[in-house]
Amino acid sequence: MKKSLLGAALLALMSQSAFAADGHGANTEAIVMFLLFIAGTFVITWWAARKTQTTSDFYTAGGGISGFQNGLAIAGDYISAASFLGIAGMVYVSGYYGVIYAIGFLFGWPVVMFLVAERLRNLGRFNFADVTAFRLGQKKMRILAASASLTIIALYLIAQMVGAGKLIVLLFGIEYKIAVVIIGALMMIYVFFGGMTATTWVQIIKAVLMLFGGTLLAVLVLAAFNFSPDAMLAEAVNVHPYADKLMSPGEAVTSNPLNALSLGLALAFGTAGLPHILMRFFTVSSAQEARKSVIWASSFIGYFYVLTFIIGFGAIALLVRHPEFFNVGPDGSFNMIKDLIGGTNMAAVHLSNAVGGSLLLGFLAAVTFATIVAVVAGLALAGAAAIAHDLYANVIAEGRATEEKEMRISKISTLALGVLSILLGIVFENQNVAFMVGLAFAIAASANFPVLVLSISWRGCTTRGATIGGFTGLIVATVWVLLSKTVWVDVFGFAEAIVPFPNPGILSIPLAFAAIWFFSITDKSAEAQKERDAFDALTVRSQTGIGRSGAVDH
Amino acid sequence: MNDNIVSQVLKHPKYQELVRRRTRVSMMFFVATLIIYSGFILTMAYLPEVFAQPLGETWTMSVGLLVGLLVVCSAVLMIALYVWFSNKVFDPLLDAVLRDVQ
Repeated sequence: MKKSLLGAALLALMSQSAFAADGHGANTEAIVMFLLFIAGTFVITWWAARKTQTTSDFYTAGGGISGFQNGLAIAGDYISAASFLGIAGMVYVSGYYGVIYAIGFLFGWPVVMFLVAERLRNLGRFNFADVTAFRLGQKKMRILAASASLTIIALYLIAQMVGAGKLIVLLFGIEYKIAVVIIGALMMIYVFFGGMTATTWVQIIKAVLMLFGGTLLAVLVLAAFNFSPDAMLAEAVNVHPYADKLMSPGEAVTSNPLNALSLGLALAFGTAGLPHILMRFFTVSSAQEARKSVIWASSFIGYFYVLTFIIGFGAIALLVRHPEFFNVGPDGSFNMIKDLIGGTNMAAVHLSNAVGGSLLLGFLAAVTFATIVAVVAGLALAGAAAIAHDLYANVIAEGRATEEKEMRISKISTLALGVLSILLGIVFENQNVAFMVGLAFAIAASANFPVLVLSISWRGCTTRGATIGGFTGLIVATVWVLLSKTVWVDVFGFAEAIVPFPNPGILSIPLAFAAIWFFSITDKSAEAQKERDAFDALTVRSQTGIGRSGAVDH
Repeated sequence: MNDNIVSQVLKHPKYQELVRRRTRVSMMFFVATLIIYSGFILTMAYLPEVFAQPLGETWTMSVGLLVGLLVVCSAVLMIALYVWFSNKVFDPLLDAVLRDVQ
């Protein structure tokens, strides 16, 4: 079955590209690079599939990844569609505004490091629900964690599917819907056969290639301006419709400072609540290795964001010289923002073609695409863990499920999530990918983050408080997003949004903390007292790692 | 893990020192992060004209862009500093606790 699926996907790609050969977007060298790369990732998946035996291998690669490797894998998860395509695209459209996203995404890491990383590794085995369920009520915590995780994963999936879909359309000239289906299928192959081991290794290798490709692209861009960043910026300001407003926070921020604040909060606290990122801390063997992962991950991510700024501003300065990248009007004129082929998310991809030719284009497109597929696979794994490990094994079967049964359920969940991601990718076709990821962060920061932090650092936290608080954050944030322009107007087609701005964090995060606090201190039950007493055992284990079983079962 | 080990660890002076110092250091780092980050976001939202200024007469690069780059560097530096603290100070304390109770 594996071979036939694999063959079908490759065949689909090749036949589609042949058909696209006479349309724009087809590019033989780029396509060859691209297919070689995808084939390479299949080899990794095949290799990993032979090593994936237990649920522990499947979810957390058996806990055998080193801190440095894990740092690269996390960086790979991070510098994907959202960061590379989305932030470069945002800089391309509005200049400085893209910077707020980059800095917000990065500042999640100090928060993760100083508040949760090491303790998380000491407490949990598979995912972050293990941590909150350490002393609080199993069932309720797992239901909360699974609901929040699945919502976050759905939003995050949209961003990745749109990014990868657009990339395939651009490269092969095929229809967007078909592209999204191909990505969904590839993702299911990675997860189905390779599990966490495969996605981690694919992610590590691609992180290295991505850092290399990004560096090369940035150097080539700067070389076009004799290595003077300021000359590049001067040219960007010269040609962009915003002119010197490119260099300042701009309309998007000043017209609604509360939205900017809200976004800033969500980005900084969201990382510590993202299920697929937290899951990566269980692939390392100890808290020390978890700590090393964070330093490596944040260094690579920080470095890569600096590259992204250069790439974004470089795209403004250089792309206008290439009318072939735009849908040119009959009079030969084009709008550099509205008429970019494939939309502004593709600015970085066009730039690679402009400065490095089709080889660099093929290389970067392949690396970006494969990264996205691996991120999608990682998300699907986190989703599968939420369904199979939290909902099925611990809530429905109450811990009596066999390993084979859990594994089967998680594979079925993967399939369902793959189909869901395809549908979502089609519905949200034209959203900026960095923006969609911002919303996923908002929900992670409102539902998971408060529960996680308070359950490990506040003795008074009880199951009742954590459940009500967590759901408050989740529901307020989700409803807010549904009522905002992004969904209410852009998807449902209503004339006006009900909430004033799209980012919910400024309301939902404090509300979740307040609800946890209030419903915990008013909880006088005997259960609550027991949970408070269990705080000592939790603290000892989270500080020292004593009693931890490791990521491996035995 | 049984209650016996828990109470043994809780009473261990090195453990108490570890928790006290680690909590203090990580809170200090966390507050520093918040100050830098919220300073950046608040300036951007409420005093955008500060960030909009060019660095100098002949420059295109704005103050905000340079500050942004420095803020990126500060995040990585703070994490590096914390890791250094952990390796030099916390790990030896932790090892001492683990030696005694296991």
